[in-house]
Amino acid sequence: MSEQAFLVLTALAEEPLHGYAIVQAVEQLSEGRVELRVGTLYGVLDRLVADGLAERDREEVHQGRLRRYYKLTDSGVRALQAEVARLSANVRAASAVLRGRGVQAWTTGRA
Amino acid sequence: MDDGAGVSNLERRYRALLRVLPRWYRADREEEMTGIFLAGRTDELDLEHGWPGWGETWAVLGLAVRTHLAAGAALTSAPAGVRWLGEIVRALGLIGLFVGVFEAGASVRSVFDESGPLAFSAQGAGGYLFNVLPVVAFAALLAGKRTAAKVAAGVAALPGVLMMPFAGLLVLFQLPGLVTFACLCLGFHREAPTPPAGRLAWWGGAALLLGLAAGAWPGTALLVVAVVAVRVFALVRGDFVLGRAVSVFALLELGPVVLLLLSGTVVEIAVVLVVLLVVSVVAPVRRPQFS
Repeated sequence: MSEQAFLVLTALAEEPLHGYAIVQAVEQLSEGRVELRVGTLYGVLDRLVADGLAERDREEVHQGRLRRYYKLTDSGVRALQAEVARLSANVRAASAVLRGRGVQAWTTGRA
Repeated sequence: MDDGAGVSNLERRYRALLRVLPRWYRADREEEMTGIFLAGRTDELDLEHGWPGWGETWAVLGLAVRTHLAAGAALTSAPAGVRWLGEIVRALGLIGLFVGVFEAGASVRSVFDESGPLAFSAQGAGGYLFNVLPVVAFAALLAGKRTAAKVAAGVAALPGVLMMPFAGLLVLFQLPGLVTFACLCLGFHREAPTPPAGRLAWWGGAALLLGLAAGAWPGTALLVVAVVAVRVFALVRGDFVLGRAVSVFALLELGPVVLLLLSGTVVEIAVVLVVLLVVSVVAPVRRPQFS
């Protein structure tokens, strides 16, 4: 699963979101590191919908613009759960190696 | 929703950008996408004079490739009538790789045989290295390393690009490699289906052995016979995608064989090969009845 797909699934795990809200949520979740372009977002959404991990929810018109909401399916929840478990295992393994070298497992990245 | 009244220049520009997407995709997504584009750009000056950013443009172009060559994710919402386009591009890319693997075998053989294919295609000794790169590209593709496959195919096609301004008609020999590279880039994107590695590996191995067994000139003849055989197979089986892909490939191979004919060395055989290729190009394909 790509990082973008992972972040979109994570964003949708909380509640159904429309496209722009997904873009903002992904940016927030990644602390500004991942900025989803609209073309990229729809590539990811198409793939998630095709794989049965997400589906279209309701539509509404906001300030004259169409907003289509997407929500996570049960399969999407399971896929996210599995990915979290996989990434957590990787983090644990890497942390153990770093601790063995006497290095702190992670830093804030800020001065 | 767009009647033209009260529409900003920026919105017009975004909608113009979205025209690179297929009509069926736009019909479903244009309003939704335009809304997102404009949601973050509310400044009056920006709405009047702003343009879509390079990043957005690049992402939309990427989406356009994936949706035009409908595959994987896009396949689910693509109209049935356009689904075959991406399949043909991928089939053509794979055929080009098979032929590249075959030629790699012939190239290795030619190291031990002075009448090898490189003598005819006028490449230098460095060409041997370039000639085996399709094997790397093929193996990488089957291993799921799509980027590596594209890089290898791109490097293999590089001499063709570099010689274009100077080679005149000889560039026709490089055309199949260039088209293969283009098809790999366009067809094997992230959402495209993974090719069946097990089955294709056997065919790739057979192509390599066939190339090793063949020499230069018999190799070309063998290639044309193989093209005709696969074309007949596709016709009999009613395989529209394979039939159309082989037709395009036969057209690409026509150039080199015509040059062979014009060189006047083996005229009779070259005429037969040209005829076989032309028949492969123009032979009918049974178009499937899409639901």
